[in-house]
Amino acid sequence: MTGDILNKIRETEFFKELSDDASAAVAAKASIRKFAVGDALMRKGDPADSFFVILDGHLKIVTTDAKGDEIIINKVGPGESIGELALVDERPRSAGVVALDAVEALELTKEAFFDLLNHRLDVSLGILRGFSNRLRFSTTYIEKVIDWSQKTAEGDYSFMEQTQPINNRTGNDDDKAAQLLSAFYSMVRKVKAREETLKQELERLTFEIDQERRKKEFDEITGSEFYAKLKEQAKSLRQKRADQ
Amino acid sequence: MAGKIVSIHSFRGGTGKSNTTANLASQVAMTGKRVGVVDTDIQSPGIHVLFGLDEHKMGKTLNDYLHGKASIREVGYSVGDNKVEGEGRSQLAGKNLFLFPSSIKGKEISQILHEGVDFNKLNEGLQTAITEFNLDYLFIDTHPGLNEETLLSIATSDILIIILRPDNQDLQGTAVTVDVARSLDVPNLFLMVNKALPKYDFAEIKKDIEEQFQAIVTSVLPLSFDMAENASRDLFSLRYPDHEWSKALKNIVPHILNAK
Ligand SMILES: Nc1ncnc2c1ncn2[C@@H]1O[C@H](COP(=O)(O)OP(=O)(O)OP(=O)(O)O)[C@@H](O)[C@H]1O
Ligand SMILES: [Mg+2]
Repeated sequence: MTGDILNKIRETEFFKELSDDASAAVAAKASIRKFAVGDALMRKGDPADSFFVILDGHLKIVTTDAKGDEIIINKVGPGESIGELALVDERPRSAGVVALDAVEALELTKEAFFDLLNHRLDVSLGILRGFSNRLRFSTTYIEKVIDWSQKTAEGDYSFMEQTQPINNRTGNDDDKAAQLLSAFYSMVRKVKAREETLKQELERLTFEIDQERRKKEFDEITGSEFYAKLKEQAKSLRQKRADQ
Repeated sequence: MAGKIVSIHSFRGGTGKSNTTANLASQVAMTGKRVGVVDTDIQSPGIHVLFGLDEHKMGKTLNDYLHGKASIREVGYSVGDNKVEGEGRSQLAGKNLFLFPSSIKGKEISQILHEGVDFNKLNEGLQTAITEFNLDYLFIDTHPGLNEETLLSIATSDILIIILRPDNQDLQGTAVTVDVARSLDVPNLFLMVNKALPKYDFAEIKKDIEEQFQAIVTSVLPLSFDMAENASRDLFSLRYPDHEWSKALKNIVPHILNAK
């Protein structure tokens, strides 16, 4: 196993935290697999008996819709790993994975993986550390999204000015949280823009009062004898009520 | 502290005076205040409908009082003590809300229009209603325009709410009414906009009208299909408390309660 492969192993999110020694232990248990365009690494429903780290090439993750047509869920490339969660939670494959070009991948079988976990504390710890980093990373983003959601609900968009949009599109699994944040940010920006155009679209009424007519009508009403008497009466009535 | 007279007025007809008066009076009664409602629109009375009082149940009226045939005490109809239909209205059970209706009999209407209203007598009636029923607020639903009865109710009021639609004709008439109210030294003058099309910017309407008249616009109420559909059959703001119309209407309540 060359140093190149060791480096590739450590480039993956999954094994990022592993020491040289631990990476070498993983490499020793793994085998290199090559796939041609259209080859399936795994099919939906297969038992989860190994996982892959992509060294070279690209793959699509696919499922089928109700009619049986293929739906591409995602595309993955070098440095990404596939199927590691299924190994741990022991469920069958939830999607199929098909090579889009010539693919070179490192396969670690379930037995090899569990054997590593069993005998190499440093490998176990490294993997755990990777998981906890991802978790912490996600939590921070989720907290931000919660905070922004609350502000948006209140119509407070002030955070938009203090925040730079994140444009992190490396496609790594844990970048999903960052993507969520980014998508959320652009959603709020669009909502805000729509709200503003809506405000502008509200028609403005213009009012005009004919001041001359206003004065004339006022004089007509207040010029009568009745009015003069009423004004006097009103004054004394209000006074009377106030004294009561 | 004597009760206050709150007149609801509009220069033109059909602005929503009766609906506003009835809902506002009910909302104030719901706060525990003792409230009266007088229908001085003797030409075309209507507010009794909102309280579910029909011709058959209507006893003595303001007309009887004005003709010396009944006392104000006899004219007062306790809404809170009478069982009424309607999800909104029935919430008034046990509240202190008294209605002083005008006659809806054609003969009696033409009689009073012919003879004219004795203003001193009407005035005395309003004062007596306040003292005898120990009212905190007496609401007056008026006839549109600036005829003599209406001028009287404006003159005697402590609080005047002028309703207008966002419409240039309403605005012109309102301008005159505001001038008259100021000339009569009405202590608290408020404007309320009703039937505003939702496509307009309500905040702008409020601001524009406040600038025009240098008076407070308590709220801008939307033209609402639901209100029209209710067709004065129930007290809308009690029945649909979360409706935009109701929420805007309820904005007026503190202006009334806090008026000096
Ligand atoms: N905001 C609104 N949206 C839709 N319809 C409304 C609204 N306000 C009132 N209405 C309707 O308009 C009509 C007139 O209302 P109302 O009788 O309260 O007005 P008014 O000013 O007392 O009329 P009048 O001048 O004839 O006494 C009623 O059918 C009422 O249901
Ligand atoms: Mg009316």
